Amino acid sequence: MKRIIFIFLILLVPGGVFSSQPQKGQNSPEEKDRIFSQIAKAAIKVTSLESDFVQERHLSMLEDVLISRGRFYYKKQDRLRWELTKPVASGFAVSGKNAKRWDAKSGRTQTFEVYRVPFIKLFTDQVFAWATADFKQLKKNYKIKVLNNSPVDLKLVPIRSQEKKYLAHFRIAFTADASHVNTVEVHETGGDFTRIRFFNTIINTPLPNTLFD
Amino acid sequence: MPIFTLFAKIYIYFSPRRRILYIATMLGIVASIFVFASIDLQEDIRSMLPDDNSEAALDFSLLQQAPFTRKVIINLSCGEDTGSSELLEAVDRLAEAMGPPFFTNVVTGPSGPDIWELFFWLMEKQPNLATAQDRKKIQHELTAEGVQRKLEEMYARLLSPEGSALKGLFRSDPLALRRIGLEKIQFMNIIPNIRIEDNHFISTDGKNALIIADTPVKITETGQARQLLSYFQKLVAAAVPRDIEISLISGHRYTLANTDTIQRDVIIILACSLLAMLTIFLLCLRTWGGLYVYLVPVSVFCIAAAGVSLIYETVSVVTIGFGAVLLGISVDFALHVYFAIRHKSSNPSRTIADVSRPLLFCGMTTLGAFSVLLFSSLPSQRQLAIFSIIGIGASMILSLITLPHLVGAKSKAPIPAKSAGGKRFKLASRWTVGAWLALLVICAWQGAKLNFDGDLRSINLVPEEIQAAEVKLRQTWGNFRGNAVIFTEGLDLQSALETNERLFDYLSPKIPAGKMVSLAPILPSLDTQHLNRRHWNEFWSEKKELTLRLLVQEGKVFGFSARAFEPFFKRLAQPSPPITAQNLRESGLAEIVDALIVNTDDKVKVLTLVPDVPEVAGLMDRRDKTLAGVRFVSQNRFSQIISRAIGQDFREFIAKASVVVCLLLGLLFRDIKKVLLALVPVVSGLLFVFGVMGGLGMGFNLFNVVAAILIIGLGVDYGILVVCKISEGSNLATEKAVFVSGLTTLAGFGALVMARHPALHSIGVTVLLGIAAAVPSALFVIPALYQKKYE
Repeated sequence: MKRIIFIFLILLVPGGVFSSQPQKGQNSPEEKDRIFSQIAKAAIKVTSLESDFVQERHLSMLEDVLISRGRFYYKKQDRLRWELTKPVASGFAVSGKNAKRWDAKSGRTQTFEVYRVPFIKLFTDQVFAWATADFKQLKKNYKIKVLNNSPVDLKLVPIRSQEKKYLAHFRIAFTADASHVNTVEVHETGGDFTRIRFFNTIINTPLPNTLFD
Repeated sequence: MPIFTLFAKIYIYFSPRRRILYIATMLGIVASIFVFASIDLQEDIRSMLPDDNSEAALDFSLLQQAPFTRKVIINLSCGEDTGSSELLEAVDRLAEAMGPPFFTNVVTGPSGPDIWELFFWLMEKQPNLATAQDRKKIQHELTAEGVQRKLEEMYARLLSPEGSALKGLFRSDPLALRRIGLEKIQFMNIIPNIRIEDNHFISTDGKNALIIADTPVKITETGQARQLLSYFQKLVAAAVPRDIEISLISGHRYTLANTDTIQRDVIIILACSLLAMLTIFLLCLRTWGGLYVYLVPVSVFCIAAAGVSLIYETVSVVTIGFGAVLLGISVDFALHVYFAIRHKSSNPSRTIADVSRPLLFCGMTTLGAFSVLLFSSLPSQRQLAIFSIIGIGASMILSLITLPHLVGAKSKAPIPAKSAGGKRFKLASRWTVGAWLALLVICAWQGAKLNFDGDLRSINLVPEEIQAAEVKLRQTWGNFRGNAVIFTEGLDLQSALETNERLFDYLSPKIPAGKMVSLAPILPSLDTQHLNRRHWNEFWSEKKELTLRLLVQEGKVFGFSARAFEPFFKRLAQPSPPITAQNLRESGLAEIVDALIVNTDDKVKVLTLVPDVPEVAGLMDRRDKTLAGVRFVSQNRFSQIISRAIGQDFREFIAKASVVVCLLLGLLFRDIKKVLLALVPVVSGLLFVFGVMGGLGMGFNLFNVVAAILIIGLGVDYGILVVCKISEGSNLATEKAVFVSGLTTLAGFGALVMARHPALHSIGVTVLLGIAAAVPSALFVIPALYQKKYE
């Protein structure tokens, strides 16, 4: 699960769109390092980020594709907000050790310490870790293939057997100017997959802390 | 009486053979010094607890089986600037370095493969765990509205980032039956503020990590305990960055702190008391003969310590600390002999015969008083009694056999009669008696407030550093080491588990959620599991069609496919093997299972942890007969038991010592009035101690009991000597001897008051108070009362 969540964090990292035609020489170690270094450099500059998203969930247990829309916010060092607007207004926000989740339909808002909800804890940990674009650590856990280097399109295949049980691979595509993530795809072993597309992304805009409290 | 002339005859016998006597004495003393030098000093809390079959002994042995009692607990704490990954790396490095011979079974997190495997394991075991109440809840929710609510929640969560991860779970458990296992496993949370991160024990704030280890080093083995701590410090220096703070909590640290403190105390106390005595001798004796008097207590100390070490394998450091007291007592006999001989040096053998009578009675009464402690159930009190008896015996022998030759032979000028005391000690008798009675009344009034303190922590030294570490551990992780423990015992595990279930059924409705740790919900007996399984299968045979219909019908609304929940029905059809202690261990809960199931020689004990509060103790007191074999043990209750035992021991010992002393006094004086007069210092000393301690709210601990016996022994000595002097008109410089011996005794005890160790300090305070009242009452009150009675 940790690995599945991992994908969502990538959106902090600058990049490009998917490309089905890998470029020549893109998988050489030197080239990879150059791309990772480029992403890391861009990541350092990101202090805040907000973006609309559309999430498509292709699940065998559902007759139709499950589509949801929402907005994502991130603020350095430890604040994020994942807000769904359709079909159900719901989401969660994290500010340091504290978090809250809400569901407009039931009208319930729950505040809690992040560690008490493992999913959110894992999600936020990964998001915050990705803020530093630690490719050294990533390479320990994933075999990273550069599908395209401009715009950057990465395919990450899990190395650890535990993770392989649930996750086939995921893809992260960055925008052409490598300023942020464009699309994330999570492919599960059973064939189900999730695609999240980000748009209207604004980087380094002032975000009030109240957004995360 | 022949016994009293015996010492005169011995004196006459050795007079021409003094060299032989001196050599024999020297050899004895030198041999005892050698034995003393090789003594293995130990600090063992068990010596302060009953070693019989009493309630306290049984409770203590059970408390030792409580989780974490024998564990080494290490807390790693990182500052604001250190990340949790660095903390966990340090934990792993340190844990990896911790190995034999000092550490075994080093644990940094759950032993299981994965927390999610435990989660699914729990789901698999639902049929064994679901009680009638659980089934009732499920049935209540098996309606169109209930199922719709569940599916709606599920749908909403599928939209969230966690949805992908939870998808499989939702398919196999759309009705959220997983809560059955999750609710039950919460009762296994031994450490309240713990969470698991990357398979490590982490505090809720993420700033602390825990390592729990076993060690083969016994808590009482001070040498190895020192090596263990030093080894650990080296590991920390090598494996842990400086910005991570480490604290180790184990009994070894307490033992070492106490042993080191007592050893330091003993050196300081002995040095101070010897110095104080030397000063007193220089001021009051001022002769070469006085030097030999001075050497008597020093020799007696070595002889007593050597004697104890020949009887016991190990000698408590408290016993040796008590040596200062012995110095103060043993010098008394030597002083009386010295003053008597110096005062009447014309016929030393006659003087010895005269002085030996009151001294022998003094010695016998003191020995008699201490002998009652030989029947104590506390090993430490018995050892102190042996130490004192040997010391007093040695002091009498040295004072009545060897010392007269040393003092008499060198004596040139008798001390003038006026310097022996006499007039200057006399006060107006009416005022003296009046003031004395008033003091006794006040002390008796205040003494009624005296409390017996059974808390062993109050007689053990807890250095600030360890105290702070304990507080931090409690604040960070919760008071997981301070719970009360309830033991359910059975001939085998199943019978113990059955009783454990009854206990859980009794307590769980009355104790707030999260405050009780029990195996009962997650490991019921096999019979209960069999019954639960049967009812579960019957329940789902009956409800399967309804459930399927509701899921398909309500699922359509949210777009779930008709086969979305097939895994759920497959799971219900699968057999669920029973839960055993072994597979519970394998599921990742080995540490907790092993902490809560204790196998002894022929029985199995299952432990339940509850808050150590009076409300829970009251619940256990009111339990019915079906829980008769269950035993409730807690630190608080243990302290109460020890307090009661101390109170009972105290009354018993005081009564026995008083009877022994009165019998001996009766034998000596054959006059009830003189007996009563001789008891004046004893009564004064004891009442003064009770009054001051009661008035100041000081607790009376087990070492104060020893000190009270000492006051009886010493007080009656002063009484005997003064009554003999007054009634028989003996010219043995008694008042001065009593005065100086009182000063030397105070010097010994005064030094004990300076001790940092609470046990030694409490002995010092008690006896200091007692002797401070006994000496003046012997010197002033007895003559005043005697005057009034016999005028």
